[in-house]
Amino acid sequence: MAGATIESEQSRGTGIAAGVFLAGAATAVLLGTYGRVHDPTGETALTAFFSGQLQFKVWAATLAVLFAVAQLVSALRMYGRFRTPAPPWLGDIHRLTGTLAFVCTLPVAYHCLWSIGFDTEVGVDRVFVHSVAGCLFYGAFVVKVSAVRIHRIGWVLPAVGGTVFTLLVVLWFTSSFWFFTTFDGALR
Amino acid sequence: MSASGSRTPLGLVVAVVEVLAVVATAATLVLLFTNEPEAPAAAPAADAGAGGGGAVDGAAVYAAQCATCHAADGSGGIGPALAGGAVVAAFPDEADQVQVVAEGRGGMPSFGDRLSPEEIDAVVEYTRSL
Repeated sequence: MAGATIESEQSRGTGIAAGVFLAGAATAVLLGTYGRVHDPTGETALTAFFSGQLQFKVWAATLAVLFAVAQLVSALRMYGRFRTPAPPWLGDIHRLTGTLAFVCTLPVAYHCLWSIGFDTEVGVDRVFVHSVAGCLFYGAFVVKVSAVRIHRIGWVLPAVGGTVFTLLVVLWFTSSFWFFTTFDGALR
Repeated sequence: MSASGSRTPLGLVVAVVEVLAVVATAATLVLLFTNEPEAPAAAPAADAGAGGGGAVDGAAVYAAQCATCHAADGSGGIGPALAGGAVVAAFPDEADQVQVVAEGRGGMPSFGDRLSPEEIDAVVEYTRSL
């Protein structure tokens, strides 16, 4: 009786995990498809108070990475990786920094998809890696946001959280870092 | 996610930011599918200018269509640098550059359906003068 209940719970957990991963995969594929089939406009979307679109994007991405680092540190502390116990407000800080990191990526991704698109004919270079990582990032983000709400699959959250963070760092290295090291005279 | 039932001031801020993030995400998705470039309006607007080449203002076309990727001064960005003779070196024959602008190549989108032949000629001439 108890064995059947545990088996049923495990089966349900596996089904939920599969559904979450499918949703993430669908998100990544849909974004890649949009970037591929949408005719790139080549136009500026938002520069805020920066001198150009690229300057705005690289700094927004950098801010996203900084928030993500704060989220990683808060996650490590909540998982007991530091000697000091996590304060009760740390969970809120974790959620806040994660949300802000995600919001910072939105105008960047919007311009990438709407104005530039996903070119698959350039070979495996910086732009291709950036494009693939961008699609995977939002797919992994969907998985993470869903996994947060499904407590029974405990290993998924740190695994996917680490994946999201890694993909964001890859995105930053293939865009902002490249820009900073290539156009050091046009940072604002 | 916070499991606590009582909401602290910080928790309230987080909740508000999360709602705003959802709204921003929805707005981004809507814009992706509804915000189309103003190609029909942009084409005649460039006809009235002067500079660049002929009756079309190549500088205005460049600022509207090219500066996002190649930078306002042509120093490059997502797209390669054009200024300082770079584009002339890459395309000694101006007709080759016109063809790339019109039809696109690699990461460069095509502008043949967005700009008139006169505008393409003007912007090509402008980039070769940067």
